[in-house]
Amino acid sequence: MQTSELLNNYDVDAGTWDEMYKDSAVREQYRAVVDFMQQLSVEELNKKEELARGLFMTQGITFTVYSSGEGIEKIFPFDIIPRIITASEWSYIEEGIKQRLKALNLFLKDVYNEQFIIKDGVIPAEMIYSCPHYLREMYKFPVPYDIYVHIAGIDLIRNSDGSFYILEDNLRTPSGVSYMLENREITKRLFPDLLPKNNVRTVNEYPNILHKNLVSLSPRQIANPTIVVLTPGIYNSAYFEHTTLARMMGVELVEGRDLVVDNHRVYMKTTAGRQLVDVIYRRVDDDFLDPLIFNPNSMLGVAGIMSAYRKGNVAVVNALGNGVADDKAIYAYVPAMIKYYLNEDPLLRNVPTYQLSKPEEKELVFSNMNKMVIKKTNESGGYGMLMGHSASDEEIYNYKQEILKNPRQFIAQPIISLSSSPCYMNGKLVPRRVDLRPYALCGPNGVEIVPGGLTRVALKKGSLVVNSSQGGGSKDTWVLSV
Amino acid sequence: MFTKLSLVPTFKIHHVTRYQYEFPVRESANQILLFPIRDEYQQVAKQELSISGEPMVDIYKDFYGNEVGSFMNAEPHLELVIDTKTEVITTVRVLPSDDVPAEIQWEELKRVHTQFPFIDFLKQEQFNALDEVSEIVQSLESRLHTPLLAAKQLNEYVFRNFTYNKGITSVETTLDEIWKLKAGVCQDFAHLLLVMLKTIDIPARYVSGYICPHKNGMRGEGATHAWVEAYIPFYGWLGFDPTNNCIVDGVHVRLAVGRSFNDCSPVKGTYKGASSHTLDVGVSVAYEDGETSAEAPTLLVPQPVKVNNLSSNSYRRYMEMMQQQQ
Repeated sequence: MQTSELLNNYDVDAGTWDEMYKDSAVREQYRAVVDFMQQLSVEELNKKEELARGLFMTQGITFTVYSSGEGIEKIFPFDIIPRIITASEWSYIEEGIKQRLKALNLFLKDVYNEQFIIKDGVIPAEMIYSCPHYLREMYKFPVPYDIYVHIAGIDLIRNSDGSFYILEDNLRTPSGVSYMLENREITKRLFPDLLPKNNVRTVNEYPNILHKNLVSLSPRQIANPTIVVLTPGIYNSAYFEHTTLARMMGVELVEGRDLVVDNHRVYMKTTAGRQLVDVIYRRVDDDFLDPLIFNPNSMLGVAGIMSAYRKGNVAVVNALGNGVADDKAIYAYVPAMIKYYLNEDPLLRNVPTYQLSKPEEKELVFSNMNKMVIKKTNESGGYGMLMGHSASDEEIYNYKQEILKNPRQFIAQPIISLSSSPCYMNGKLVPRRVDLRPYALCGPNGVEIVPGGLTRVALKKGSLVVNSSQGGGSKDTWVLSV
Repeated sequence: MFTKLSLVPTFKIHHVTRYQYEFPVRESANQILLFPIRDEYQQVAKQELSISGEPMVDIYKDFYGNEVGSFMNAEPHLELVIDTKTEVITTVRVLPSDDVPAEIQWEELKRVHTQFPFIDFLKQEQFNALDEVSEIVQSLESRLHTPLLAAKQLNEYVFRNFTYNKGITSVETTLDEIWKLKAGVCQDFAHLLLVMLKTIDIPARYVSGYICPHKNGMRGEGATHAWVEAYIPFYGWLGFDPTNNCIVDGVHVRLAVGRSFNDCSPVKGTYKGASSHTLDVGVSVAYEDGETSAEAPTLLVPQPVKVNNLSSNSYRRYMEMMQQQQ
């Protein structure tokens, strides 16, 4: 292995699994990329980086950070070095996610119908009923094909021995898939030869599979059902994604005010009059979807939509009420669900999770705060969490007081040292921590996962927080076919 | 035997809800819980429902077993009238014998407190005066009695300490406001009793319906009424009406049960348009048991309506306004 300027400063943090390096040697899957990079001068690499930044800017690939004052729409930072996953790693991840989604769908069907899992004492009733996302409005509600989760973003991380863990399930309106697609397009522009040379599997089937699944849910058995993407509008953090997906699928992008419900059917207002809508891929949260049933002040939804949905006159994707399955306290029970519904052992492991509502687990967590990350059960995007190893005594004290007020709202997990992956920064390759969010699509014929996903990067040295809302960036994610 | 049968009362309830708009409104979507619960204590002999514009009404059962009707009216309209004529036959209850020792009954309540459906009816609402309310319940030493007697005692407490006063509260009034005012109408009385029962771990649910006395003079006539059901161990749900200080027996007709008013709201809806609305409601009850009968006219009474903050730009107002009617 020839060393060069590029790799000189590549110091893997002790006790960390590095995606590229193993015992000071480059892993097989990264060799071609590293060799290629070494042929390029720093000037050439900088040019590539600049090109990538320019493409993101001109194409408006942005996201929005809430509560940061002005200029909230930001370019999503992109690192030009791909994150590479081997064929065997991928097949393991794929099987693991399929298994997990199967169980989560069965769980949702069960908690909104017979509740066998509660009756058999596998999950305490309190756990379900105290979850604010358990929607009583979904009880005994007929859902087409019994599919609740049509689109899932499952977050995976690797610990120091390289084994994969599920960090969280995102089953409501997971976002980020447009960045997966755009990142690949950028890589094609930057390194056109590298993708075929490395046998990288394509991700561009995603919009087609999603579209095919949406068509299959249409209540009307016609060739061209009307499908819409329902967005909360331009101020939503993922508006870029809503426009991208609608464009890629060739369907209408609508806001709540473009739709009307009449006689238990949903119509889209067009210049040629009303058009019956068959399938709604909604990116509006449950609580805002129907002001008649949920938040009466919502301007983002459509009054009466739940009635059309209940009567089977329109399909809504994802189903409502999925939040009970990706609640961080319910997460701890997913391995038990897999065992209960499928009679299988979970392929992908959970991060050990302590319920702060259980007194003995709370004691354990309170006496080991510096080794724990504590999260709110109903928050996502990295908001409201405490990283015990970097928090001050005062922060820990205040957080404990918060927990004591409502322990059900918190869980704790041991801090997992995420794996690192090379990033190109200031002419050098440096290790930065990453996670992985593959996107799974569930249709009447089963679960399909495009080989890839969104790799998020913590851009600060040593940081373990990858959320884009907390200053993370992303990488193209390669899954190799051989 | 014969006389007893003929005494089973039939109530003929006429309930009219009328919304009127100054200018045409459109895209209205509505939900009604106006279908009496059918069980061993009440039968629905007949029901006629008519709604202006004759929309198709879809009826389904909600989480709490209530029948819910939903309908829309997308076209511009100036009025929405919902009219039900319902005949209900109620049966007199066998009241709890209450002969199981108090401790065993409280033990039983402890046993069920994490079970469905009781979990939902024990979750305490948070409000500033909760501690004060709990202290008062403690000072009444209700726990020394059986749950039945404790519920009776709290029912009476609300009746004695709060003034029945129409028009000073609305569906928006918070518990803290009611607690300060020491006054309100049936839904406020019910709301308070719910909270008090939960402080001593008695599952309690909100009930909406009608009160149908043989003679006039009870509070809650001429409109929909509200009260509370408490779970009595080894018996089941029993109604307590804190507005009239009585146990519910034969003269109350139940429309819906739930955690709070929001689960049971008899009529609610939304519409779009640059118009505020007025609301009139009338409920009349005719009574028949073979011996006496009474006819009653249905008087529509204007109801307080929540005033929305109207934007001064009437175009935007027209485009965006989503109004709620309750």
